Amino acid sequence: MAEALLLAAGLILLAALAGLYRALRGPAAADRMMAAQLLCSGGIGALLLVAAATGMAGVVDVALVLALLGAFASVAFVLAARGLSGR
Amino acid sequence: MTLLLDLILGLAVVGVAVWTLAVRENFPAVIGFVAYGLLLALVWVRLGAVDVALTEAALGAGATGVILLFAVVRLRGGRAEIDAATPGPRQRLAAGILCGVVGLALAVAVLSLPDPAPSQAAAVARHLPELGVANPITGVLMAYRGLDTLLEAVVLVFAVLAIWSMAPDRRWGAVPGPVFPVQSNGPLSLLARLLPPIGIVVGIYIAWVGADAPGGKFQGGTILAAMGILAWVAGLWRLPPVASRGLRWAVVAGPLAFIGVGLLGFVFADGFLSYPPAIAKPLILLIEAAMTLSVAAALVLMVAGPPEGRRA
Repeated sequence: MAEALLLAAGLILLAALAGLYRALRGPAAADRMMAAQLLCSGGIGALLLVAAATGMAGVVDVALVLALLGAFASVAFVLAARGLSGR
Repeated sequence: MTLLLDLILGLAVVGVAVWTLAVRENFPAVIGFVAYGLLLALVWVRLGAVDVALTEAALGAGATGVILLFAVVRLRGGRAEIDAATPGPRQRLAAGILCGVVGLALAVAVLSLPDPAPSQAAAVARHLPELGVANPITGVLMAYRGLDTLLEAVVLVFAVLAIWSMAPDRRWGAVPGPVFPVQSNGPLSLLARLLPPIGIVVGIYIAWVGADAPGGKFQGGTILAAMGILAWVAGLWRLPPVASRGLRWAVVAGPLAFIGVGLLGFVFADGFLSYPPAIAKPLILLIEAAMTLSVAAALVLMVAGPPEGRRA
């Protein structure tokens, strides 16, 4: 069971890594943002599977922190892309 | 199978790092930096260092990424000044060589460690119950390497002072950073109302759980800071002016509590930063709580930047 979960974590990670291409190449700022968010979501999924498979303490908390700060970072990206001050 | 995944993850980290250094524009470079921090957090989990993974996720990818993003926005339109301050090719080459040599020396040092590597881990594990703290990382950071942690705490105060010192005289005492208009509808308004109540609970939880499991003041404080910044950019929370006493106390509360407890060690224990065993855990929790507040305040102020609003 644990191995199946780890395999799934690996596959999710690979899928998210495929999105890395868009994060790095763009072309638009929105493409980069969305790909970075995909990587964050993929990371959360992989971490939760690893936590279930290994029972390592605190891994769920890492996923929790990523989930909160990922949403926060998307706000910061949008603000920065259109220039601060919310105009 | 695992080896293949590790290899892919490792190559991705190095690849994103090289790409982030090589890219010319600022915005994509910050995206690369955040992606790099995310991948690095996964690597730390893979290595079994969950505490470090939490710190990397919160401070490396989250806080530093946002500070860099705000810096990118502030740098727009300052082409001449940026070019004047950009190091020339020779200076960059020298910095590159220096980094390469340091990296190589570290790699050689790590690879030539005797097996088993010399370690104080067993001694720490033996004495950990005296502190009443179950997380060995927190035990080491607060007790055995307390001075290092104290200096890290003081650095935050200096960072805020350095940023405030950029303020022009006529702005001194004003509100730090831009003032954002109130968002009464739209996605930002929704997120800034929904996320902070959850985030504040999670931030306090991460700081509190640090005594017994991965977590701690820096990670918890970062989440609290992120929630404050979210409310600030949505116009729901106004930053206090830098002249505010409450704000200044919030920034120095952690280091002051740390130094105060440290000095009490001269009277009640074996010296500076030594805790009387009977109340070691309450003292450590007191410092951690004060530090969580100070880390959060300092990070918000670092993102906000020097006072630039109207004088309060």
